[in-house]
Amino acid sequence: MKIAVCGKGGSGKSTISGALARHLARQGHKVVALDCDPNPNLGISLGVPRESVETMSPILNALLDAGHTHKDPKIEAEVLLSRYGVDAPEGIRLVATGKIERPSNACLCCGSHNTTRQFFGELPADDRIVLADLEAGLNDLIWAKPGPDDVVLAVTEGSAKSVEIARRACRLAEELGVSRIIGIANRTVSDVDAKRIGEELGVEMFTVPEDRAVEDADHLGVAAMDADPSSPAMVAIGELAAQITR
Amino acid sequence: MGEGHDLTRRDEWAVQCMERQLVVMEDLAARAADVPAWLALERQANSYLRHLGTWLAKERIFPGAREEMKQHKSDLEGYARRARQEVAGVDPDVLESSRAALGLRLAVIGKGGAGKTVTSSTLARVLARHGRKVFAADLDVNPGLAFSLGLPATEAGMPEGAIEEHAGSIYGWQLTGDMTPIQVVETFASVAPDGVRFLGLGKIGPASEGAGTDKSAAKQSVAALVHLLMGIGEPDWDVIADLEAGPTTPFERYHAFSEDVVVVVGPAWRSAMTARRLLPMVEDRRLTIVSNRFRDEPDHPGLPARVRIPFDPRLAEAERQGLAPLDACPDSPAIAAITRLAEMFMNQEVPV
Repeated sequence: MKIAVCGKGGSGKSTISGALARHLARQGHKVVALDCDPNPNLGISLGVPRESVETMSPILNALLDAGHTHKDPKIEAEVLLSRYGVDAPEGIRLVATGKIERPSNACLCCGSHNTTRQFFGELPADDRIVLADLEAGLNDLIWAKPGPDDVVLAVTEGSAKSVEIARRACRLAEELGVSRIIGIANRTVSDVDAKRIGEELGVEMFTVPEDRAVEDADHLGVAAMDADPSSPAMVAIGELAAQITR
Repeated sequence: MGEGHDLTRRDEWAVQCMERQLVVMEDLAARAADVPAWLALERQANSYLRHLGTWLAKERIFPGAREEMKQHKSDLEGYARRARQEVAGVDPDVLESSRAALGLRLAVIGKGGAGKTVTSSTLARVLARHGRKVFAADLDVNPGLAFSLGLPATEAGMPEGAIEEHAGSIYGWQLTGDMTPIQVVETFASVAPDGVRFLGLGKIGPASEGAGTDKSAAKQSVAALVHLLMGIGEPDWDVIADLEAGPTTPFERYHAFSEDVVVVVGPAWRSAMTARRLLPMVEDRRLTIVSNRFRDEPDHPGLPARVRIPFDPRLAEAERQGLAPLDACPDSPAIAAITRLAEMFMNQEVPV
């Protein structure tokens, strides 16, 4: 199974992706976590030490350093995964598609989007879960191009802007033929809020409550799953993991 | 067009862009009647020259137009020289203060959710309330700036009359050549509260493979809006752009028009990591770091804040309702902090 997680910046994509990957792994699945943000930081929410997250070499940069582009020569996704991935807790393998800190470490024609497309498209997911935390916004959803067999999670918090982007992401996923689209109402403070968001998105919904423990972990730059796995939001994401794989 | 060497469609587009830059320069020169106007013209020439430098470095993208680019460099340098000659006799102190008083060219960047849009929209409206002409552009395909300015969200991008097709431009579209950039703003921009003029990218379209013409609003709009921003040379207009989150937009040099870059950073560790990664991409600009949503946390290491916008739940509520914070909670200390930032820019206080 492949899962693509999208939404507005700051809506909680990485926090949810990280905790979801951890829960899926705990529930017995083999998990590959794909950080598709050209500002890679999923490692933090997975529980990878901060120094490793800052220094890990994403695939595109490793290829560019070796004098290649994203497609020349074409190296098998599986090989790249073993070569450039890092180990995260609970047997999760984490790999980032690209990291842009200056023009020299991006692909001139696409930034890092082609690597994202290649990876999300080509990594086999028959006996494991490939979970992609996409770049903020809608563009990366187009690049990752999930299909009918994949799951799209559209994450939003309560702001009108965030809900609007999640709504557009749901429509886009429908256009791409994705059959299972789940809206995640993140940091919800009331049932009214969750209901309002559900009506806007018009898809299967899941609610993750507001949780001060998650915010505190985020300030420190540590995984909420390590700070307090029994906090309300982390428990909810455990249920989400079960619901997705059921 | 030069003979004896082959131009790709991309090269042809670049050549046309350069021709249009000269139209902007000539228009500014024809209307220049005072010191600020000549200083603005010099700044515009330098802004184009800086951007030309990035083109010259991209031999792979523009393989054929090298000669034209070198000629363009010399033309722009000619305009800059002429502007300096026009103000040659003016007292250096007067020059310096006039230069600092030119309209702002601000790009706002940061991690998603850091508060870029609230900062840019409130800045724009506060500046407009001081009687300044302000153009605010949303360089984010995820709509937000319109909401925060107090306009309804729209799926429309650049209006039909403001764009035209060109096979060599990215996604096949570019800014119209029928009028100058400032005329495009005056003709087509929406009018937000306090008179702020607004244009955005509009709705992103479904996946389309390869190059060629694409009809989705955002793809039709992006090259046009970036070039529109870069082509506003007027001394009396403030220009503010809210860039899509993260490093891709600075990588694509959406901030090419800017003199000042505002980096918005939240209290979270990842927000600081993002800001530290963004800084090298904009290191050739004057930088202002804004700490947003801080309670009593200290500044992040290496990211000293010029202004701290305090946490205020009323702002979050305004966001929930899709209202402009300036309308929803005008007495918020967060609004007061952004107002101070606007005053710093208006008073030409130099960032530390």
